[in-house]
Amino acid sequence: MGTPLLELRGINKSFGPVQVLRDVALTVHPGEVTALIGDNGAGKSTLVKCIGGIYPIDSGEYLMEGKPVHVHNPRDAASHGVEIVYQDLALCDNLDIVQNMFLGREKKSGMILDEPTMEQLAQQTLAGLSVRTVKSVRQQVSSLSGGQRQTVAIAKAVLWNSKLVILDEPTAALGVAQTQQVLELVRRLADNGLAVVLISHNMNDVFAVSDQIAALYLGRMAAQVKTSDVTHSQVVELITSGRSGTLGLVEEGAAA
Amino acid sequence: MRAGPSQEEIRRQNLGALLRFVHVRGSISRAELTSELGLNRSTIGALTADLAAVGLVSEEAPRETGRAGRPSLVVRPSSDLVYAYAASVEVDRIRVARVGLGGVILDQREAPRPHGEAIEAVRPVAEFVAQMAESVKPQARCIGAGIAVCGLVRREDGLVRLGPHLGWLDEPLGHALQDRLPDLLPQVAVGNVADLCALAEHTRGVAVGCDNIIYMYGDVGVGAGIIAGGRRVTGHGGYGGEVGHMVVNPHGRPCGCGSRGCWETEIGEQALLRAAGRDTALGSEAVLAVVEAAARGDATAQVAVRQVGDWLGFGVANLVNIFNPELVIFGGTLRDVYLASAAQVRSRLNSIGLPATREHVRLRTPKLGGDAALLGAAELAFEQLLADPLG
Repeated sequence: MGTPLLELRGINKSFGPVQVLRDVALTVHPGEVTALIGDNGAGKSTLVKCIGGIYPIDSGEYLMEGKPVHVHNPRDAASHGVEIVYQDLALCDNLDIVQNMFLGREKKSGMILDEPTMEQLAQQTLAGLSVRTVKSVRQQVSSLSGGQRQTVAIAKAVLWNSKLVILDEPTAALGVAQTQQVLELVRRLADNGLAVVLISHNMNDVFAVSDQIAALYLGRMAAQVKTSDVTHSQVVELITSGRSGTLGLVEEGAAA
Repeated sequence: MRAGPSQEEIRRQNLGALLRFVHVRGSISRAELTSELGLNRSTIGALTADLAAVGLVSEEAPRETGRAGRPSLVVRPSSDLVYAYAASVEVDRIRVARVGLGGVILDQREAPRPHGEAIEAVRPVAEFVAQMAESVKPQARCIGAGIAVCGLVRREDGLVRLGPHLGWLDEPLGHALQDRLPDLLPQVAVGNVADLCALAEHTRGVAVGCDNIIYMYGDVGVGAGIIAGGRRVTGHGGYGGEVGHMVVNPHGRPCGCGSRGCWETEIGEQALLRAAGRDTALGSEAVLAVVEAAARGDATAQVAVRQVGDWLGFGVANLVNIFNPELVIFGGTLRDVYLASAAQVRSRLNSIGLPATREHVRLRTPKLGGDAALLGAAELAFEQLLADPLG
């Protein structure tokens, strides 16, 4: 296997006296979906916010494509090709799909907005993801279903030549048919060559689309395993107790 | 000693290779064709001219390249002028499409399947074909028709030997359609739905570039389309791939084929609906309703989905051990079942599959969705044309 796109080593992060992440390691390869799982409060969101530059890390190494980088704010992360799609999607209901996708990063030709180019790019991006559910890119986001909104938010992340897309619970609050479409979209992102990190509580979603599973337990990385090497019950054990047979944290760590 | 291929044979092969390339990849410039096919520029020019002369492809100047120099002409398949009819005969419905060269669906109709023999099923197909033929341009050319059917199909003449869920035994489906429309359809080819879905996904879907794949097609019955080493594995008579009739549970339920405990009695639609206590319902909507109920927390539905997922994993693990595929695709209603029970399927595969056979296998859902059967049937119809474009 080649160089990982993202590699984290020994990441520590505290909020005041509370240490939220402790010596966390994570590797993410291009073309793969890495599922990030863990109980509530295990540190998933904090870890993602550290990757996205929202929280600075206290110590540890952050490598992109094998080279150490410093990420102090979201702009740094974006410049390295990292995009995050949050649960609330951060879309503006009163704007259309194109306006949302280019919000804050509009293309200009001279003084005015280059609408035709933006529209074309938006269409190309959606077509590249084989999205057939969206009829017009000039539709207002308020008229879209939950699944379509998720699709637009993901397409927005893909638009910027991003290399790593992080999705926070993309199927939460969706119906079955829309969940299926979003899962297929997540898989397609990776099959198109992107690195994808998927945060999920749903074991089926994790097993349906992931190549690797990284399980956090009380702020530590219990294990990062290949999806083709583990069973459902092993993964549940990793989440709930931090270890499963020979996998996971060593005894004293698990007891801590 | 065998003499080398003649000029004529080489030219036929090159014409076929070029047409197939354009058919699969869509519009492409002459310059790209030259490098992709490894033929020289003047040969590509001559071959394209031959194909354009009989109306199979057309050439046009590209829109704008933004680069210096005379732009290379773009070769495009004549999708609106060269077409085939594709039909899919399913348990509860019949679909018919007109598919242009290049795999473009130009027109599509659907109706419930009339009960009874092939003669009955052919009637709406023939009506749809006749309706669609009215709107076709006069200079357009029909290559023939392909039919996907859920049953065992004899390769040599398209006789449906057994369609357990259609209630068919030795039904001459292909002949029945051609006899109705001898003027419209020069030839009619018939294939198994799972085989044709595999062919379609391999040609222009999720399995492009993969030479070892298994396409699991499930509705009431379950079958597999298998491609190994880049070739379709359909067996001696064309009946291979009936994985739904692997016996997995000798003490299980009786199967429509006459045996007992076949895999499809554990993973077919009826197995899921029975386990969920919804025996009366049928079809993909009923399956989706069970999945939906399971997602909402209905305990009976959850148990049913998990149980079917377990059985699905068992069988897939066995297939992976036998064929060592790089890709397993879950199509038909098995797509819904797989996405809802992937934890079970994967867990079974990971614990039963041999580490060496399973390490690189990817589990995927179809890219072409429900269109795969129609596109695969069209591929079947186009096969002869692509082998010998001017023949």
